[in-house]
Amino acid sequence: MTWYRYFVLAAFILCVMSLLYHVARLVRMGAPRDYSIRKGNVGSTVAYSFIGAMNPARKESAYLHLPTYTAGVIYHIGTFASLVLALFYFFSDVPGGTIRWILAGLLSVSVLCGIAIFIKRLLKKNIRSLSNADDYIANFLVTIFQLVSLSMLVTQSGEPLYFFVTGLLLFYAPVGKLKHALYFFMARYHLGLFYGWRGVWPLRSHN
Amino acid sequence: MSMATDPADIQPALEILSDRKDHRLLSHLNSCVHCGLCAESCMYYLAHDDERFVPARKVDLVSSVYRRYCTVGGKLFPRLTNARDLDASTITEMVDQLFGACTMCGRCTMHCAIGVDIGFLVKTGRAMLSSMGYTPATLQSTVNAAIQTGNNMGIPTEEFVDTLAWLEDELKAEVNNPAASIPLNQDGKTILYTLNPREPKFFPMSISAMAKIFYAAKESWTLSTAMYDVTNYAYFTAHAPEATLIAKRLRDETNNLHVKRCVLAECGHGSRAFRWEAPNYLEQSFTVDVLTSVELLAEYLREGRITLDKNLNQELVTLHDPCNLVRQGGVINEQRYVLQRAVSRFVEMTPHGVDNYCCGGGGGQLAMSEYNERRMKIAEIKAEQIRRTGASVVVTPCHNCVDQLMQINNKFKLGVQIKTLSEIVADALVLT
Repeated sequence: MTWYRYFVLAAFILCVMSLLYHVARLVRMGAPRDYSIRKGNVGSTVAYSFIGAMNPARKESAYLHLPTYTAGVIYHIGTFASLVLALFYFFSDVPGGTIRWILAGLLSVSVLCGIAIFIKRLLKKNIRSLSNADDYIANFLVTIFQLVSLSMLVTQSGEPLYFFVTGLLLFYAPVGKLKHALYFFMARYHLGLFYGWRGVWPLRSHN
Repeated sequence: MSMATDPADIQPALEILSDRKDHRLLSHLNSCVHCGLCAESCMYYLAHDDERFVPARKVDLVSSVYRRYCTVGGKLFPRLTNARDLDASTITEMVDQLFGACTMCGRCTMHCAIGVDIGFLVKTGRAMLSSMGYTPATLQSTVNAAIQTGNNMGIPTEEFVDTLAWLEDELKAEVNNPAASIPLNQDGKTILYTLNPREPKFFPMSISAMAKIFYAAKESWTLSTAMYDVTNYAYFTAHAPEATLIAKRLRDETNNLHVKRCVLAECGHGSRAFRWEAPNYLEQSFTVDVLTSVELLAEYLREGRITLDKNLNQELVTLHDPCNLVRQGGVINEQRYVLQRAVSRFVEMTPHGVDNYCCGGGGGQLAMSEYNERRMKIAEIKAEQIRRTGASVVVTPCHNCVDQLMQINNKFKLGVQIKTLSEIVADALVLT
């Protein structure tokens, strides 16, 4: 096995161990116990939190910023696709045929979205003022990761650079904001739990 | 404010941050991605156009301290993630932003792209500050009054009893029945009714309104002189021991009087603090039914226990949704159900319901005079909402909101009447 495959394997193991640590910590802490008398249906609202409540029409953060929100969604799909692709690359080979070009198309758009988000963070005063180095590094690393994934798909070459960048991303992931890959799901779970318990969600029409 | 930030001084705040009783706090502390898309959901940001007021900035004040003291990355490379020391500068900023620039309305939470419970993190930040003694003195004095006198306005019992006595006389005259009463400290009744101390102090007619409704519904009810205050300002200071003490008094009074139901007066935060938070302060579920007066009024109408004539309220009426009752308490449709039966003409604000804007007086803002200018600046948004409806009456089931709306009415010359839900229901009541 080549050095860069060892590198990415080490990064992957570290990343997974870190993820498991966070998961174990969350499991150990457990869900909150609420002593108030429940008013709503928690199960359905937790599901609603992940599905209906993610509808852009439901959230100002989405419908007032539709281009940014859409770019964010595409960027995350691109990231997920690139991670799946990395597993393929590591264990077998580049996917071929139509899938390869569909993925290339997706990643082309996704990379542009990543760059746009980076530029927006730099230029918009609001966002710049609340950003730290980690925000820029995470955005940069993920975008570069998608870019080398795209390059691998199209050119089917450049394996050392590809695995090196992938390794860097996996080493970095446990450090900063990329942890939201796990905690996003936890936050939405808690939101569904909170609003469901109190009968705020699901929203009912006025009578 | 002198800042003592020795390790021993900040330890109580750090203990709050490292709370491990469940994964709620940890989840929200690690979720914000600094996208900044929450900005327009905050009245402070909208009114002031100042990036300090972006909700994510308030979250970051709390989570940056968490990262500094509770994460490996923050301990080793604080600059990488802007992990901040809990020093004088951070504390000053936290007091200004978390107490002085947030009504804890939760609108940003509802609209956060990720789902971060921003209100919960602001409350966590307030808890950290109060544990170190940095609660604004104005807000703390309200809590102190409640703890020392039993109600947040420090109303002496004799004055309270006198007020109720003349209200009872008026009730007898109004319903033309000498047996009509405002019962006090009666054991074994169905309902213990609570009050916002602003009612006996400034708005006694809202007590009259509810007494008239109870009379019409032939309700078995009582007030308590020992504990009638529905408010719990320690919820806003986020000082758990004080909030627990206040909640315990009301819970104990429901037990002492052997009532079956505790009905919470029209007070958004009071309803939230007792209905939803108190059982968790006390780590015990209530054994009595706890509900808001809004829900009770809807129940009376559904069960036909009271009759209303909507023709008695002919003016165009709009509704202000109190954040703690609606967005944080799930009482969304009941007030609309009641209003549709109590008034001839009703118009919704835009936006309304769970998306409604705060009146601007929530989160303890009305008690913190040092932030009055900011409070009335954000109130422009509510004033404009009201103006656009064209209504001449604004109904809100919250005495705190009533206070703020009256100030808005005055400052922005809206020329509207502000009423509680029980008042407008009492106006439409048909006594049989």
